[in-house]
Amino acid sequence: MTTRTLDPVQRRAIRQRQLRRASVYALAILIALWILLPIWLIGTMAFSTQQDVYGYPKQIAPIPFTTETMEFFVNQEGILEATRNSVLVAVITLVLSTAIAAPAGYAISRYFFAGRDAFRLGILAVRAFPIVILAVPLAVTFIEWGMFDKVYSVALMHTALTLPTTILVVSSVFASIPREFEEAAKVFGCNAYQAFIRVVLPLVIPGIAASAIFTFVMSWNEVFAATLLTIRNRTLPALILYSLNKSSLQFQYAGGFFMLAPSLVFIFVIRRYLFNMWGQITK
Amino acid sequence: MNKKKWNLAPYLLILPSFIYLAVFFAWPMVRSLQLAFVRDSQILPVLAEADPDADVVGRLEMQTQVAVVDRTRLDEVLPNGRTRPVYWFKIVGETEGGEQIEGWTHQKNVFIESRTTSETARVTSGEGAKEWTLDYVERMINDYRFTNALKTTLILIVLILPIQFVLAIVMALVLQAQLRGSTIFLYIYAIPLGISDLAAGLVWVSIFTQRGFLNTFLQQIGIINEPFIYLSADHQNWMIVAIVLAEVWRATSIVMVIVVSGLQAIPREYLEAGELFGASLWQRLRHIILPLLKPSLQVALILRTILAFQVFAVVVAITGGRVLTVLAYETYRWYDPGDSGFNNPNMAAAYAGFIMLISLAFAVFYLRTVRTQEEAARE
Repeated sequence: MTTRTLDPVQRRAIRQRQLRRASVYALAILIALWILLPIWLIGTMAFSTQQDVYGYPKQIAPIPFTTETMEFFVNQEGILEATRNSVLVAVITLVLSTAIAAPAGYAISRYFFAGRDAFRLGILAVRAFPIVILAVPLAVTFIEWGMFDKVYSVALMHTALTLPTTILVVSSVFASIPREFEEAAKVFGCNAYQAFIRVVLPLVIPGIAASAIFTFVMSWNEVFAATLLTIRNRTLPALILYSLNKSSLQFQYAGGFFMLAPSLVFIFVIRRYLFNMWGQITK
Repeated sequence: MNKKKWNLAPYLLILPSFIYLAVFFAWPMVRSLQLAFVRDSQILPVLAEADPDADVVGRLEMQTQVAVVDRTRLDEVLPNGRTRPVYWFKIVGETEGGEQIEGWTHQKNVFIESRTTSETARVTSGEGAKEWTLDYVERMINDYRFTNALKTTLILIVLILPIQFVLAIVMALVLQAQLRGSTIFLYIYAIPLGISDLAAGLVWVSIFTQRGFLNTFLQQIGIINEPFIYLSADHQNWMIVAIVLAEVWRATSIVMVIVVSGLQAIPREYLEAGELFGASLWQRLRHIILPLLKPSLQVALILRTILAFQVFAVVVAITGGRVLTVLAYETYRWYDPGDSGFNNPNMAAAYAGFIMLISLAFAVFYLRTVRTQEEAARE
């Protein structure tokens, strides 16, 4: 087909099309570099020798490659403990948030009830809420209740932070499963509970897992509330923020890379569900 | 099926989240207002006679210096039936309003050098009093760092948001162009969704620091001869540039995802019709895509603005919080019981309340302007 002779106008049109295609590719790659390059650079620092971290001019690849800077960071006092705290907080948050949000998400997507829209709207408002505001009174309240400086109280705060998002995501995941599936299961003799467990649940598990991962990431990244709510039992970001002024560049670079590295994996795992998560909020 | 039970189910399902948000969201909100507007103070009621049941003649603030004009020794009966001697003092002092008060008070309420001879005393205790006050708010507004913080926060918003939205729309259009490998591009563009503001700040420190990558690059291509110090108190504009880049780098992805969802909701026929009639990309963008994206953009704008008023860790990482300050950092500084903070939850709550108020104001403003434009278009 391509061997058929084309007149100059057609050929020009095709060339223009190819040119446009190429420029879109170039743009796409440029934007990808804009995002990847800074990650590469801090990664370079995190795996360079101490001389290279302080050296100038900088080289843009970690040669010689070494883990001494990362080891230096991990061996700093309190880092392992803070990492453990962070993971613990994020896991508690994930479990609490998912357990509380899943039923609510199901209710919003499957039932029509008086107050449904109000509840949904309320959740949307809470989701957009400036969380900075809650951290101060919660810290004061936790002191009064004897819950200050505890890992679980940070998790309680983070659950309040992530719950609205999780509810919306879960409801969108449930909404993507046609109601007919459940009805079909009932036709074939399942009761409502069996229909849910055998038909709906297997279909929603991946989506809910993705939302749980995102909850984990949100908690892992949260700095402000964690800093206000803890003194000795700091989470990793809280500890790093707190030590910034008195820390070395090695500490900062390795710490920065250490904090962002998990997101490279997590976002990859949940990439298919991103629009489930965020597209939701415009509806 | 039992009709009543059917109706109850959704309420039972949302109940846990409802309770949770009431306890950990609504209640702290109330508590926050309390902290910002109610003073938990002690005030000493001065009595007409040396008797606990006497009338109150006036009230004195804590730490008021008073003159002791008379004293008397009484026996006080303790709960176990024994008695002990206590002093009552007749004191003269001025209230905060400048009113002179003379009356009696129990020894436990004042600090006095010698109960028998001292001529002066200081009020040290009284009864708990809660009163509405605007003191914290006034003190916040009069603080020079408040003006600086507000100014910097607003400057950042004005600089960051337009760049973010243009970039996000470009990213979304690129993703929608159905390139080969578009899932890889989606993944890369979404990575910053999982990066914390603190990590992002540190990433950009490595670029902007004196012995960093930017200086290396500029020196290599011959623009500068020696490393330039961007992040110093003398170069606040460079600090702003670094913060803006870090925020654009980190927080554009969320706008991008919202815009992509909005784009996916636009029926293909609209775009095809535009193409068929020979509309250029710009024309399609201007007359088809952007108008239909408006609801998504509005949501993204509200979300991003509210988040931008909370910008915190990026600023701390890049500036140390000393040179440039933002509203959230001031909140932190007032609350922080450590050596760099003031350990004053009331002031912190005042700042938090201000952030909420200004975020709300912007949200309402966006909602109204977009709506009025739509209404104007309809007429």
